[in-house]
Amino acid sequence: MNEEMIGKFELTIPIERSIQAELLLLLGQKPSHGYELIQRLNDAEFRRGEADAATVYRNLRRMDKDGLIESHWEVGESGPSRRLYKITHQGEESLKLWVKYIAQQKVKLENFLQAYFQFEKS
Amino acid sequence: MNLNMIASNKVLRIIHAGALQRVIENCINHFSKQNSGIKVEIKGVGSREGAKRLLSGEKYDIIALADQSLFAELLVPDLVENYFVFAADQIVIGYDPSSRGSKEITQENWVDLLLKDQVSFARSDHHLDPCGYRTLMVWQLAEKFYDKPGLYSKMEASCIPYTIYPKSIELAEALFRRKVDYAFLYSSEAKQLGLPYLVLPSKINLSNPAYANFYDQAAVTVESKIPGKNTIIHGNPIEFAIGFSKDSPYPELAQSFVDILTGPEGSLILDECGLISC
Repeated sequence: MNEEMIGKFELTIPIERSIQAELLLLLGQKPSHGYELIQRLNDAEFRRGEADAATVYRNLRRMDKDGLIESHWEVGESGPSRRLYKITHQGEESLKLWVKYIAQQKVKLENFLQAYFQFEKS
Repeated sequence: MNLNMIASNKVLRIIHAGALQRVIENCINHFSKQNSGIKVEIKGVGSREGAKRLLSGEKYDIIALADQSLFAELLVPDLVENYFVFAADQIVIGYDPSSRGSKEITQENWVDLLLKDQVSFARSDHHLDPCGYRTLMVWQLAEKFYDKPGLYSKMEASCIPYTIYPKSIELAEALFRRKVDYAFLYSSEAKQLGLPYLVLPSKINLSNPAYANFYDQAAVTVESKIPGKNTIIHGNPIEFAIGFSKDSPYPELAQSFVDILTGPEGSLILDECGLISC
């Protein structure tokens, strides 16, 4: 399978949902504003390709509304004021559920790979 | 505090980027519901021109600009203390369905198409309007991205003179009147006007903070705040910001307006107007 085909395959994974887990983890590590989160998300290499700015900002607003994160305006000392996001207790619980789900998916994928390699040998 | 009590017969003056016209008007509708009887005057300008109007002594209570870096460059700390980044956007190529070549334009062929002799395109004035200098930055970044040496110079030479349509909103009108085939605009302007547009690769359209270092390689010379002197500005992700004047006689009213724009109501208005609320 070449790189292009892998890219097409990854498109079937619901990015809109998994990006919330990624943002929760980054905000669990430290509070950040959207601009910085986009940069951190791209540096983290959780996914192929770039995190689109509109998708990140839209998800932050949705998560803020749902109570997974909270925000306030951080007044910049020498630069602009920006909305600073922070994970909430509800967000931490949601992140734990995501980790459980991802760990289960990982086991299933490993089972699949193991079965495939056995098949390849036979 | 009941703001109506302290502000009757007062006029709140707002100067804003032309691209924010609809956003500001919609926010005023919300503001007026909360502060009935208060008159609001608005002035739409190119953002660089707007900041310079304040420097020259014109008085406004609220300043909403299409480039957050203009506050630091021209207004803070003398005229404005704090400013708030509230929206993001990107540069696109707007066109009309009847524009020459519009049926085949893509992210791969737009440079070759725009440079054809029979095709016309325009940009706004980089000395007045951030959309103008951002367009020049897009061309510089495109030269690197597509590995086409000389692209920037060719685009500059072929573009309709920027003095013809100095503001990006005038470019959009020129598209409607079919005076030009293509115009470099904000995505929000194209969406508001129902114009078709080509989305450019994010590495050159100034939309993504992940590429801030790459954008920074683009540099444009514009007139500085000192008459007759120039300054060089570098590319960065497109962010709109709002602040209020330090010497506004109505700081509570100004804060109330900024709270609307930066709050949940403002977020909905920005979405409706095609901007990304941040």
